[in-house]
Amino acid sequence: MMNTYNMVKQEFIKKWINTLHMLDSSIEHPLNVTERKNAIRLSSDLAMAAARNGSTVWSRALISRSGNKTANKPMARRILKKARNRMKNRCNILRRNGNFTAKTGVRKRTDLLKSLVPGGELIDDKDYLIRETLDYIVYLRAQVDVMRTVAAVDLFTRNLTNDRRNK
Amino acid sequence: MDLTGGFGARSGGIRPCREPIGLESLHLGDEFRQLVTTLPPENAGGSFTALLELPPTQAVELLHFTDSSSSQAAVTGIGGEIAPPLHSFGGTLAFPSNSVLMERAARFSVIATEQQNGNISGETPTSSVPSNSSANLDRVKTEPAETDSSQRLISDSAIENQIPCRSQNNRNGKRKDFEKKGKSSTKKNKSSEENEKLPYVHVRARRGQATDSHSLAERARREKINARMKLLQELVPGCDKIQGTALVLDEIINHVQSLQRQVEMLSMRLAAVNPRIDFNLDTILASENGSLMDGSFNGTPMQLAWPHQAIETEQSFHHRQLPPPPTQQWPFDGLNQPVWGREEDQADGNDNSNLMAVSENVMVASANLHPNQVKMEL
Repeated sequence: MMNTYNMVKQEFIKKWINTLHMLDSSIEHPLNVTERKNAIRLSSDLAMAAARNGSTVWSRALISRSGNKTANKPMARRILKKARNRMKNRCNILRRNGNFTAKTGVRKRTDLLKSLVPGGELIDDKDYLIRETLDYIVYLRAQVDVMRTVAAVDLFTRNLTNDRRNK
Repeated sequence: MDLTGGFGARSGGIRPCREPIGLESLHLGDEFRQLVTTLPPENAGGSFTALLELPPTQAVELLHFTDSSSSQAAVTGIGGEIAPPLHSFGGTLAFPSNSVLMERAARFSVIATEQQNGNISGETPTSSVPSNSSANLDRVKTEPAETDSSQRLISDSAIENQIPCRSQNNRNGKRKDFEKKGKSSTKKNKSSEENEKLPYVHVRARRGQATDSHSLAERARREKINARMKLLQELVPGCDKIQGTALVLDEIINHVQSLQRQVEMLSMRLAAVNPRIDFNLDTILASENGSLMDGSFNGTPMQLAWPHQAIETEQSFHHRQLPPPPTQQWPFDGLNQPVWGREEDQADGNDNSNLMAVSENVMVASANLHPNQVKMEL
């Protein structure tokens, strides 16, 4: 039963189309591939975080982190406002008392994981970090799946139109 | 455009499960066992730590089943996982266990973590509340570690971790559907996963060990992590020598890195092919734009003709029940939903069929909606 995951992906797609259009309308046309890639990546990350809808650390952190890159964009500002408010309220709460003594290897890996997951550095408790990571992984997977499918459809459509044109 | 419009899946129905973890709750005794055994099979909500039993196991399963099917790549590092070809990925997606895992993980993240509001504050980690509906109880006693049965795995971890908890009042009639999030009392426990049930976790105070709440909490965590490790060792061949949480973290890190790299690659691919940023709509919903950019090609008649062929060949995919369109203002509600819902439903890994189904719907959509109209509505 893939209903939940499908809905995640659908949500992501909807948000992504929105963010793509917002970005496209708000920034001047980038000229090179790298800028376009960054814009696409940014819109995709924002869409993923927006689809998650804000009760996770990673989604808010991702929004605020992406906002730094689009400080002038009204869309990012809008999302950022809500995200920042929540972040402020949550940061303190997140510091739980974790008195466990981690082994060295685990410690290093935990730090690495914290650097990977957006907002991970805010989380002290290892268990909570793992849970955030898992949530993040789900949405990351959705993002990858959708983008891959879109790329494939795009390719397919292009080939099709090219074939038709060439005939 | 409200990007923060609610994702329809408001998990909820969590009764205010407040499981006060006083010192007494952590002491073991006969009374506790009685409590545990006589608890009604319904759990109001998994607590914070109860849910935490799930993630690493799920993470491992996710990692194992979503990485390439042919190799247990999780252990060896996912560096080579960058942008696998679509077909292989589609094949991976076709794995029933894979989709089950993603579904489970998606439910977990969407439902359970939605309940996190206010839950973290003031909640001690040992308040683990075992879970679910009575239907799941019989799964508690299952064989250890079948890798393809994540449910059994979870219940195994649950069996291995036993923490006492006076949580009977917190038994939740856990729904498998999304419910409105209940902003009930200050201390909601998280709803445990629908598919998992986490029975009580017993922490036995060993002789000579401290019994204050902190150390008990630590010990509970450690034991839980150790249980996860054991499951992991059963999952991953040849990792018996690896000890501790490091393995879980390694796999998780690898997976996250690989996914992020894939996103990077895909966005580069999309950027390289399309001269515009909003390629999405242009190429998918209305390839007229693409054709117009190319110049001479008028795709409209082609598009109208094409769906017919596609429809004929893809009749088999139409049996899928279309999901109800969401209430959000989305101009393509009736059209886009079935497009993606259907496409993603394909569990057969037949990518060409997927693309055909998608494209067919896409073309139908484009035939009905003018692309400019689309843009204005957005």
